[in-house]
Amino acid sequence: MAISESGVQLRPGLWETVNERYPGSMIRLADAVPLAQPRVALRDARVAFVSSSGVQPAGSLPFDVAHPVGDFSFRRVPSNSAVSDLEIHQLKYPTAGARQDLNVIFPIERLRELVAAKTIGSLTENFYSFIGYNMDPTRFQSSFAGELAAAVEAEKPDVVLLAPA
Amino acid sequence: MALVQRALERRGFPTVSVSVARDVTTASLAPRAVFVPFMMGHHFGVPGNAALQRAIVRQALEFIAEATVSGEIRDLPYTWNEARRGSYR
Repeated sequence: MAISESGVQLRPGLWETVNERYPGSMIRLADAVPLAQPRVALRDARVAFVSSSGVQPAGSLPFDVAHPVGDFSFRRVPSNSAVSDLEIHQLKYPTAGARQDLNVIFPIERLRELVAAKTIGSLTENFYSFIGYNMDPTRFQSSFAGELAAAVEAEKPDVVLLAPA
Repeated sequence: MALVQRALERRGFPTVSVSVARDVTTASLAPRAVFVPFMMGHHFGVPGNAALQRAIVRQALEFIAEATVSGEIRDLPYTWNEARRGSYR
């Protein structure tokens, strides 16, 4: 089945599917976070990128995709990395496209092109990557999310682009 | 991921996520997101289509200044069939 109308999720029922396979791994939230307002125009903005795709520098400690409660660590990915120096350690989403062209999930070359075209101002020195396989949302919220947010904050971005894989 | 996004937004950093799972993004109340009806793991389109990948990055970032309500999701005007067919170049 390939539903492909604009606005219609290609694979329906993901929320229910994940909760059925990994009960309690995801929580429904009701409290909206107030929007932070951009302080500079996009053409001047330093952009950070955060991905849960499991992309990491080749040779760094592989994400643990088999641990019973998942992996609560992140990797720094220098924004000037060559795609050939990056690899993926994650099993939970289709990587067929990414293995042909990493930019379909981790658009590092496209972000550099947007800087060159002056669409955006610059990139943070590092991007950040983790895996979305974490079975303890309380731990994720109480420690991991804050640790990763602090690491991104230290890069002094103006805006942050995220891709939840 | 929405928990990371929310933590960043709370620290004063405007954020936007690119979602292929509208139901998950809605339930986790990401502050801002653009939605593309693409296959999981293919948030920025298809291999070899740099123009589409670049457009999605740019349109996501442009949405930061245009969103008015926390939790807002904007549909980007793409379909997976057209992307796979090689459109949007």
